[in-house]
Order: sequence, then structure tokens, then C-alpha cells
Amino acid sequence: MAQPSSGREPVLEMTNISKAFPGVQALDDAGLSIRQGEVHGLVGENGAGKSTIIKILAGVYHRDAGRIVVDGSALDEVTSRAVHEHGVRFVHQELHLVPHMTVAESVFMGHELSRAGLIRRREMRRRAETFLSERLGADLDGETLIRDLGSAERKLIQIARALVDEGARLVVFDEPTAPLAAGEIERVFSAVDRLREHGVASLYVSHYLAEITRLCDRVTVFRNGTDVGSLADLDEQDHREMIRLMVGRELGQLFPDRRPERGEVVLATSGLGDGATFSDVDLEVRRGEIVGVAGLLGSGREELIDSLAGLRRSRSGHVELGGQRARVRSPADALDRGMALVPRDRRNDGLVLAMSATDNINLATLPDVARHGWILRDAADQRARRMVERLDIRPQAVERPAQLFSGGNQQKLVLARWLVAAADVLLFDEPTVGVDIGAKAEIYELMTEMADRGAGLLVASNDAAELLGVCDRVVVLVRGRIVATVRRDEVGIDELIALVTGSEEAPADGGTGAGGSPATDVEEEAR
Amino acid sequence: MSALSRVGPDLVPAARRVLLKRGPLLLFGALLLYLSVASSAFLSTANLLSSLTQAAPIAIVAFGLAVVVRGGGDDVVAGGIDLSIPASAALATAVISDQLANQGAGVLRALILATAAAVLVGAINVLLVTVIGLTSILSTLAMYATVVGVVRVYTANRRITVDDPTMLFVRDARPLGIPMPVWVMFAAAVAFWLLLHRSAFGMRLQAVGGNQEAAATSGIRPRPYIAASFLIAGVAAATAAVVLVARGSGSSPGIDERLLVDMVLATFVGSAFSRRNVVTVPGVMLGAILVALMSNGLILIRVDNSWIDGFKGVLILIVVAAAALQNRRRA
Repeated sequence: MAQPSSGREPVLEMTNISKAFPGVQALDDAGLSIRQGEVHGLVGENGAGKSTIIKILAGVYHRDAGRIVVDGSALDEVTSRAVHEHGVRFVHQELHLVPHMTVAESVFMGHELSRAGLIRRREMRRRAETFLSERLGADLDGETLIRDLGSAERKLIQIARALVDEGARLVVFDEPTAPLAAGEIERVFSAVDRLREHGVASLYVSHYLAEITRLCDRVTVFRNGTDVGSLADLDEQDHREMIRLMVGRELGQLFPDRRPERGEVVLATSGLGDGATFSDVDLEVRRGEIVGVAGLLGSGREELIDSLAGLRRSRSGHVELGGQRARVRSPADALDRGMALVPRDRRNDGLVLAMSATDNINLATLPDVARHGWILRDAADQRARRMVERLDIRPQAVERPAQLFSGGNQQKLVLARWLVAAADVLLFDEPTVGVDIGAKAEIYELMTEMADRGAGLLVASNDAAELLGVCDRVVVLVRGRIVATVRRDEVGIDELIALVTGSEEAPADGGTGAGGSPATDVEEEAR
Repeated sequence: MSALSRVGPDLVPAARRVLLKRGPLLLFGALLLYLSVASSAFLSTANLLSSLTQAAPIAIVAFGLAVVVRGGGDDVVAGGIDLSIPASAALATAVISDQLANQGAGVLRALILATAAAVLVGAINVLLVTVIGLTSILSTLAMYATVVGVVRVYTANRRITVDDPTMLFVRDARPLGIPMPVWVMFAAAVAFWLLLHRSAFGMRLQAVGGNQEAAATSGIRPRPYIAASFLIAGVAAATAAVVLVARGSGSSPGIDERLLVDMVLATFVGSAFSRRNVVTVPGVMLGAILVALMSNGLILIRVDNSWIDGFKGVLILIVVAAAALQNRRRA
């Protein structure tokens, strides 16, 4: 059928694809076309149908209608085997690796080299090492255990697994940089660039528009289960257009304006350290203030937040809450003293998925809606309904189990819990990771509202734009020590990233952070 | 503390790490050292060879357990474990003995029937774990109790004496001065080592046990591998039965009980020998030998038999607790 007329022949052509799940039309006449050897971006808000179309291509879901042509052959039934034979490979978002297996074993997982039933260990090691170094630019020992690698290296192992049989024509990357810190991302980028040099096409799915413009030749935007537009020759100027296509309207501002009113100190640390990952941390958070903590993975950022919340023990220094020394031994302890943690992995750490929205919202403050230990259902429901309305959580069904809400709405359920708790100090760890732009803006709005009501917020994040957009001040952690404190109007995203990656010397201490510059606009939706 | 930190701040955590990782081995080492001092007979060739002979059935059933643990993951509750192997071994022992002593069967027929019986137990485990979806610790514990009950009914809870020449040969022959059961253990070790550590099957089984999603996205369907692991455990049980019949000149009630504790102890002590801290075939064999040496040594210094079982129970707890602590530190 399809004649290879030129090098621009599509390696993948999906047309008129539809797929319905009970109650949802996930895909409605969607299309996607990828040319040979190009890097093609796929963007869209959560629920736009990106993962559905990828899972159809992977043979996980079966389409209701539509046509799929891979490398010139129309596939009636898409099975994982069939697409693999046609050269389609997948690099999944999750790190699909076994910690106690070696690099070589992991690269060849599922297609082990063997002779007469026995593994050819030396050959696998040699081939894995060569492939990693020549094709992905990673010099690793094939005998190293996965658990001794960093997350960027683990990602490269996953990429190597998809490619090592040299049969790949199209590689689908699903949010490949999600678990990585800013400095590590470049290694994944260069791996994708090398693929292009070898004539292998990539489909690159990401929430980060800056990554799309950096890497992709073209991009397709999905909204409400269909493709709403394609752009080529991408640069930074296209961010606004991509966002417009994604949300179907001009998005005013991602970050809210604010003029912080600062009150007394609610959280202070001095000389805090855990003896391993961070040390000598002096911090101060006042009422009405949002303080950011910037740092790479492994900079001690996560550990600092965990130890403040009582999830990890500190070994030196002390913490003051509301002006009094406090030893926080557990999150419950923290809550008693008016400090709450909104955890990083909300789906797993923040919600009891099988419990209703009402129960999840009231979980931290049950005594408020109980008498003599018995829960007053009406009071609990009412309170939950108020929060659901105020945060615009959808659907507005408080008796629904948390697991039936979408990701962004689950996020809001956790936030609602701390809003009703009226904590004085709120710790946020990666508040918007994996959340689409619309929900991001709402979460920033809520954070600002919490601060305006007199709470002090400490926000740890990997996203420089987010920190500068929402925080009044940002402290920068490098290798467990604070190397700089900057005000949001003092530095740009590039400078903050430079500080975080340790590629720039710290400026003079920014000190007090009164009145940041407002209106960091959506165009800075970048890393 | 201050004196220690002057020596080197990394010394204390490093010492703790070594203690957690190698603690069970150090414990065994200290015990063996004590035994060799306390009893002059402990290091005699006769005692060492008899310990190796006793280690043989333990090691062989533990190889079977190693296969299941590899495929199910080493989480003690959610992971893979097969507690029914000793009961299968007892069943196979009873079948071999009954066939040879009462049914007038030849060795080959007895072995085939015994293997079939043990593999059937494995097949029921497969049904319970992969089809119905029970946790393996629960379903195989129930299977252990069930099969032990079946064996009691089958043998009327009596001893069956075997005087078949092949079995007597396995009991008495000493090629190169090493008892035959030890050779059987070595042969089984090589076979299981090839299977687990050098075959594509073994590698995929490890992937399935380590991360089912990773395996699935690499084109490995987990279920057949998990199913195979339980069936292989049945084969291991039948192999152990040959050694058990030879050693005991037949089948006698209650052989499953001690085997259960020894098997679990050998398997998890063995993982402290591996770089990756996972269950391996060489580790399991060394573990079984340590367990047998210890049991023998304690008898030599006249520790009451009843104490020995309790002692082993405590050792299992220490080993498993050390592993759990280590996992917690890593998480």
C-alpha cells in the first residue's frame, strides 16, 4: 500500500481513533502522524487523551474505531508483540527496574542473550556497556547494581533496554524526565538527540513545554480526546500558542499576584542537620510568607522537609514553632503544634484511596467533627462540601471514594484537608508534580490564599519557575547546605537554576523578602 | 561517642551497616567457633561428613524455596514463599517407601509417582496463588498442614521400612570418601545454579520477582514464571525425598517439621552471603551446611534437643529482622 516515496513517509499514522470507557469518551476522532526520524512532541492537559492513545499503540487498550498504520503496514489488531515487530519501543514513565539486578541484566531484560539455554553473561555485559557508552553517552560498568545508580542513569538503562536490539524505528517516551532533577535532564535530551541522528523517530510526551521546544521538530496538541493542532519549527514563542491550544482559551496568569503581609515568625530552624544529607540549615518562615527551598535531587531538599515534618530524625540544631522549641517526632506530633505536611506523592502518601472525599478531608481534624469520639456525619459532610465547593473539586460528590477522582482533584482533596486544619505552618513537597497547567494555577492560587490567611508556607520544589512564581523568598540548597537566599524579583529562572546546579556563585544574601514582583506570567512555564 | 568520632565519623555507621548485613553470619561464625572449642569431636572428619549428609535434604528443599522466592520477590509477607515444600518432601518420602516396601514397585516407578505427587502439590499452590490470588505465605502454610494430614492418613502415621538395594546404595556408598547424599546435594546445587543464575528462565524469574511491571513491559508474562517456580519446588521436594528415604531407610512420621524450620533458616541465612543480599543457590547451600553444623554441634555439647528447635526459631527471627532493618534503611 504505502509507497516509500520519500524520507518523509510517516513511521506512524493514527487516524480517526476513538475509544470510550464507561462514562467517558477518552478519545474522539483523534489523529497522530509521526515522520521517520523526527522527534515529535505530544502535549495536552491531564485527561486530554495522551496516555489513552499511547496505550492503544502499546496494545494495552483496544480502539473502538480508527486506523493505525505502522511503517507502511495497517494493523488490524494491535498487540504488544505486533508493534514491537514493527519497531515501536516504549520508555515508560515509571522506572521499571529491579534494584538488585545488574546494569547488563536490566538492559537485556526480556531479550537475554543465550546459547543452549544458558545466558551469555560476558557478551551481555560487553554489549550493554558498549551500547550505553556509544549510543547514550553513559559510561557504566555492566556489573553495577541498579540500586547503586542515580535516577538519570536508571532512565538511560530503561532507554537502552528499548533500543539495544537495534530494531527500533519509533521510540515512545512517556514523561521521561518526570523523576529527574534539572541537571540530570540533559542526559536524557542528548540520548533523544542521538536517536534522531541515527534516524530513529521519537514520540515525546511531556508536561514541560520547555522540553518540547528544546527537543522536538513538531508537536501535536491534544484536548478533550482529540488533536486540536500541530506546530512545527518550535521555539519559546510557541509556548503561548501551545497553552492556548491545550486549554482552549487564553490562560490569564499561572501565578497569582500578591503583596505579602508578613507577621511574626512561625517556623525557625537553627543549625539543623541530619548528620548525612543536610547540615547547618538556618531558616525562618513568617506568617503570610511563602518560602521556597530549591535544590537538586540529593541536595538534602527532600530530607530537610521530611525531618521538619517528623518523618526523619535530625541529629543537630533545633526547630522552633511559634517561637517555642519543638521536637517533632512524627507528622501527628507536627500537627499538634500546628504544622502540616502536604506530601510529595499525594496519591500514595496523602490519601486513603478507598475512603470517601469527606473522610479524607476530615482525616487530620476528626476531633473537630466528633463528639465523645463519635463522628458527627452531618458536620463532617457539611465541612467537606464547603471545601469541595471552595476548591472547585469535581465531581462535587463528597461520598465518592478518593480513588475515583482525577489526579488534579486528588491533589486538591489533600490541600482541603490542611485548609480545614488551619495549620500555622504548611510544608509543601513538590506541590504540582504531575499536574496539568489548569490545576497548577488553581493550586498556586490556594497556596497564596493560605498565606494570605496568615499561614507560613515552606515549599520545596524541583521547578525553578514554580518557586520564583509563587514564593517570596527562595533558599538554595547545594549538597545539604544553604548557599544562597534570593528574592523572587532578584533573579530569573536561569540564574536560579545556575545556583541550584552549583554552576554559579551565590550572590550576597537576599535577606528580607518584602513584596515580590507580581505577574510571573505563563510564558515562564519552563524549567 | 566522641572518642569514636575522632577515629572517623564514618566508622560507626559503617560498622552498623556491616553488622546488619553480615550479622547473621557473624553470629553463626561465633557459634561455630565456640562449638569447635567446646567439643573436640566437632571438627572431626566424621562429624563434618555427617553434618554435610544432614545438610543434603535441607539444601535440596531450600533450593526449591529459593526458586519460589526469586519469582515472588523476597518480601516475607507479600512476596513469594513456599512453606509446603517440606510436606511435599514428606509425601514423596512416604510414596517412595510405600511403593518399594508394600507395592513391590521398582525404583523408577516409585520415583515417578513420588515426583508426580510432589508436583501435584505444587500445581495446587499455583492454582491458589496465581489463579485465585492468595498470598503465597497463607496458601502454602495451609497446603503444608493439608499435605501433612494426607501423609498421616496415607501412612497410618507409622514408619515404613525400606530395604531396596538402590536406596541402601544411596545411604552407604561413599565415592571419593564422600557420602552419596552429599553428592546428590552437589548435583542438585549445580542444576539449580544453572537454572537460576545462568539461564534466561532464571533471569526472567528474577525480573518477575523484583518488579512485575518491569517484567511485563519487557515482554515477560509473569504468571507462567511464578507457576513454574512452584512446580520446580515440587521437583526439589521429590529429590530431597530420595535422600530422606535413603538416610532413614524408609519414611517415618514427623520428618517434615524439622525440615520446615531448617529450610527457612538456611534460605534466609544464605542471602547474607550474596553481594546483592538476595537468595542465591550457593548461599542457600552454605546456609544449609551452617544449619546442619550447628544442630550437630549443639547435640555434641549435649544441649537438649528441645532447646535446639527454639534456638533455631530465634535465629530465624534475628536473620529476618536484620534483613527487614536493612530494607528499611535503604527505603
